[in-house]
Amino acid sequence: MSKKILVVEDDATTADYIVKGLEQNGYVVDTAGDGRDGLFHATDGTYAAIVLDRMLPGMDGLAMLSAVRAAGVDTPVIILSALGSTDERVKGLKAGSDDYLSKPFAFSELLARVEALQRRGAAGGGSVVTRLACADLSMDLLSRRVERGGERVDLQPREFRLLELLLRNEGQVVTRTMMLEEVWDYHFDPGTNVIDVHISRLRKKIDDRGRTPLLHTVRGVGYMLSDAA
Amino acid sequence: MTGAPARVRLAAPLRIASISLLFSLIISVPVLLFIYHQTDSLFEQGIRDRIDDREQDLMQGYSSAGVPGLVDAIDEELSTGVARAGAVLLVDPRGRRLAGNIAAWPPILRAPSDWAEMRLYPEGQARTELFALRAVALPAGYRLLLGTSIEDRERMRASLIEALLGALLLAIPLGLIGGWFVLKLTERRARAIGNVAARIAGGDFSHRLDERVEDAEFAMLAGAINAMLERIEELVEQLRLVTDSLAHDLRSPLTRMRANMERALAAGDGKAQQQALDAVSLDVDGMLRLISATLEISRTETGAGRQDFEDFDLRALLSDICEIYTPLAEERGNAIRMGQPKSVAYNGNRQSIGRAVANLVDNALKYGAGDIELGVSNAGDMVDLWVADQGPGIPSDLREDAVRKYRRLDESRTTEGSGLGLALARAVARLHGGDIRLEDNGPGLRVVLSLRRDGGHIALL
Repeated sequence: MSKKILVVEDDATTADYIVKGLEQNGYVVDTAGDGRDGLFHATDGTYAAIVLDRMLPGMDGLAMLSAVRAAGVDTPVIILSALGSTDERVKGLKAGSDDYLSKPFAFSELLARVEALQRRGAAGGGSVVTRLACADLSMDLLSRRVERGGERVDLQPREFRLLELLLRNEGQVVTRTMMLEEVWDYHFDPGTNVIDVHISRLRKKIDDRGRTPLLHTVRGVGYMLSDAA
Repeated sequence: MTGAPARVRLAAPLRIASISLLFSLIISVPVLLFIYHQTDSLFEQGIRDRIDDREQDLMQGYSSAGVPGLVDAIDEELSTGVARAGAVLLVDPRGRRLAGNIAAWPPILRAPSDWAEMRLYPEGQARTELFALRAVALPAGYRLLLGTSIEDRERMRASLIEALLGALLLAIPLGLIGGWFVLKLTERRARAIGNVAARIAGGDFSHRLDERVEDAEFAMLAGAINAMLERIEELVEQLRLVTDSLAHDLRSPLTRMRANMERALAAGDGKAQQQALDAVSLDVDGMLRLISATLEISRTETGAGRQDFEDFDLRALLSDICEIYTPLAEERGNAIRMGQPKSVAYNGNRQSIGRAVANLVDNALKYGAGDIELGVSNAGDMVDLWVADQGPGIPSDLREDAVRKYRRLDESRTTEGSGLGLALARAVARLHGGDIRLEDNGPGLRVVLSLRRDGGHIALL
């Protein structure tokens, strides 16, 4: 069964852009044009994720989010906002959102984050994960040991966290800004090269010596760890 | 110049004149009233004294020889002319005149009476005169009347009132003339200001007011207006530059995107199309970055992000940035070093400071050369974060320019970059009550992000 996403966005063009993109990626999408309608849908609780515009007619995005959380619905929420500054991000996170993306954004960035959110939501429910793996690449989170094909790979602490992020989102795109946020806790766009060089170093360590490449570049979007050819 | 100001021009002199008239009235009327009152009571005191003297003289005659003695004294007074301009009358209990120069006792005057004002006919005169009178009751019903003409006082009162009215009448033209002068002066200054404003409105921002005028308040006004004009000129210049640069910076990628999209359309499916579309996507990202940076600067400049201050270690922040950029620097053959071993606790917006430092390192990698050094040092009330390179640096006369929004010292704008890095860094420094400084690193450029230690609490933009 395909997953359902709720998009609460008052701007028809933006809503259409998001809905089309999500549908092309196999989601079933419901839309709401204002906060009240959005709240009505959201309390249904059957959505895999909610994409919520920060500024809405009727009921403000943050107010709607607070109401949703107060109703005990813990569907992952990502806020879209034209207010891109860091303090707005903090406000959004405080109100109960799981991620924050400022407008204008690339659809691929939104998609990557929506998928990461669902993964996070699914993992959060179960027991604590101590081991991550992709094909013959494995990571032990307790001993902080990384192996590829049974051989130990030595990683710097940040490289370790970068790989952990990629492993947790295995099979899904992780964007450069997501990496900067998760690994270094800075919320700015670092420009193309900065993260790429980190990735190419990591790639040298895990994909070296003619092994099947696991770390793939997704053009114009970011990177993905996957054993699919 | 047209319509509404014409009405103001007529109304203004009248208004100023009536205000100055009102002021001269407020000052002159009480003064004149005071003079009137003082003169009047002095005059009255003089008359009382004179009557007192005469009463004393006459009563001496009475006490030595009774009523006949008093009659003699009165006759003597009349004959010697002591009673000049005076009235005197002695009547018996039945009201008959025994002596004096008044025909009969005024019926409404009772004795004794200290002070009464009445018109009487002095003997041998056709007209009445105003007298101040004193009636003295003597034993056995005899009554003595003593009086002094106070026609003089009436004349004096009249002339005082005339003076008062005259002063008031004089105040009107004086007020008008004074008002006119004040108006002319104000109008001249106002016109000077208006002319400059009109020129500015016409688009010529170079005009300034003369600040050396005599009146301190106009000099102050001119100074304030000139400072405002300075700022407006700067802002307009900035805006012009921003618009030009933004247009240029957007046009180049848009042109490239158009070319690439045409290439993609022509190429059909395949590798060539993919490449062309990738190039388009890169350009779009660049434009999005440009727009976000612009928004971020505007928001930072208006003080947003101050609610978001937190405690953090500046050393840790520098080492984060170092770590983020080290692989990139090494790939280009440079090294990034950090020369500060100790922690520096600070309260501020970690995200924006991080971004500002990242911008500086990014600039150093792009435009500088050699190794890049990062550091933090205390400087009194300030904390200095600095990023230094060993490249060509920026000549001192171009440094202020370099910090402006969209200003790129590469006039042809062929190198990559938005020209916003230093502008954002400055906005962030100002958010923390400080500023940005460009210094000579001998060789190279050293950019100092100077932040107030207590910037989080009294930051001023």
